[in-house]
Amino acid sequence: MLLDEAARVIRSKNAGPFTLTIDIFFDSDDGYARAKDSHLLTPDGVAATYGVPTETVKGVWWDERVRAAKVSLRRWSSSADPFCSDMFGAHLHVPLARSEL
Amino acid sequence: MNDPEFRILSFVNHIPPAEGIEEHIERAFSWGVDAVVAQGTGSDWGPFWLGSGRQVESDVARNVLPYVRAAQRHGVPFIFSFGIAGGNVHLDKCLTEFQRVCAADGLDLEIAVIRSELTSDELAERIRTGPPVLPAADDPSLAPHLKPGDALAATRLVALIGPEPIQEALRAGADGVITGRALDIGLFMAPAMNAGVPIAVAAHAAKLLECGGLALEPGDSANCMWARIDRDSVEVRSPNPAARPTVASLVSHGFYERSHPYTEDNPGGTLDLSDVVYTELDDGGVRGVGARWIPAPYTLLIEGAQHVGYRSISVLGVRDPALLAQARAWSDAAQTQTRARYSEEFADDRAALTTRIFGLDGVLGSLEQETTVTGHEAAVIVDVVAESQELADQIGYHAFIRLFIGPYPGRKTTAGNAAAPYMPVVIPVGEVFRFGIYHLLPLNDPCALFPFVVQHFGTTTTQEGTVLSNAAR
Repeated sequence: MLLDEAARVIRSKNAGPFTLTIDIFFDSDDGYARAKDSHLLTPDGVAATYGVPTETVKGVWWDERVRAAKVSLRRWSSSADPFCSDMFGAHLHVPLARSEL
Repeated sequence: MNDPEFRILSFVNHIPPAEGIEEHIERAFSWGVDAVVAQGTGSDWGPFWLGSGRQVESDVARNVLPYVRAAQRHGVPFIFSFGIAGGNVHLDKCLTEFQRVCAADGLDLEIAVIRSELTSDELAERIRTGPPVLPAADDPSLAPHLKPGDALAATRLVALIGPEPIQEALRAGADGVITGRALDIGLFMAPAMNAGVPIAVAAHAAKLLECGGLALEPGDSANCMWARIDRDSVEVRSPNPAARPTVASLVSHGFYERSHPYTEDNPGGTLDLSDVVYTELDDGGVRGVGARWIPAPYTLLIEGAQHVGYRSISVLGVRDPALLAQARAWSDAAQTQTRARYSEEFADDRAALTTRIFGLDGVLGSLEQETTVTGHEAAVIVDVVAESQELADQIGYHAFIRLFIGPYPGRKTTAGNAAAPYMPVVIPVGEVFRFGIYHLLPLNDPCALFPFVVQHFGTTTTQEGTVLSNAAR
């Protein structure tokens, strides 16, 4: 199952110009549990998905109250890159969303 | 001593208000409002507005008018940050427009204006004489210790002022406070803290309020939001009956554009929402308790834009299947030929070039897993950044020509390879900036650099009987 299929909302945005944060909300306890048990939503899994060192992943957090996960990582292409293709970071969830849980 | 209680009506001032906003504002005032607060600055747009001195033409003055009218009618102050990037040039444009709108509306206001732009010399002097100025993010492009030369290399610098200068301005008793770049939550914390609300609760309320109706369900910053804050808790309500706060909407909003879901470093301390408990109330409100504030040395975030060059772009549309099948190889070849023609400029880092192919890798670049165009058409965008606009134009033109007439295997399109939708085919985009400075400046006195100046806005009559229209400054 792709993360995209398990999640109701996957939103990506800058948290300041140098950090990307991806919030993921699940509709069901099943989807939430499956994602939480996955390797994808771990610092190693996120780093592999984006091809960045694990130490640049700031964390993966879980909140049962709202069945949500949060992933934050250092932007690999930020305001310091004149060819940054996504200034708001609003479309950088796709590699994660299109990965298998 | 009475327990503190403070009520805030919040919105976002660079976003045009929702339909029916006057009715929603009046509903909020029927619950009681002690201050109207709205943010209008941010770094979401990157360093371009800050560096260029330009800004989004967002009609801020017209957006705030219904709120200013209501605040005046009910005799409560308003607090706004203006101008997106929030430098003096941005603030002044907004204030000039605000003056025009106030005069046209018959408003007559005394406003405490706080500027938060720093000169390069001011910052360089503080770097020379003060404690180390360290980066606020772990990006390798940011200097590990800011040097005076970094400050002098910046095109424009702003500080995200905290609540303290606003607290001082509010004590002067003006009709309102308007700032340049400011910490969003500081705008909301200031009046609540002046009323005696503890900093942890004030900051928690501010976090929920800072984006107006975005923390509601459904979230929409065109809506306003209302909160009552006391010694221990914050209670949120929606003045628009079509939206409401829920536990989920408030917890989710804590995540929004934040690196960490529960903690946030701020001037003078860290707000910790780890133990916050929200309860949905019978009247449609939600109450939150349990915020903590962990004190830390006082630092202000400084944003500095640094000029890195000039951009030109060229756009080509591709529909021919034979070319679509090899679009990346074709545009890579054009890049190679262009780099060869301007080899000196590229070797000296006086120019940089990339091509994005929308329809293939325009969004994700090297992260894209698709290797060929799968749709029926694509757009190639040649993107050049060079030390002068002329050089960027020249390089862009060369790349365009190679793409337009360059041969490729199986080519049938010998009169021209692609459609050119724009004239000029090379579009001069203008200056390019980066955040060269995104650092934390230690300060002993949060207010000294940011005094307020009370200015008159609107139309008034002097003793001589002449009508003054006081444009900003």
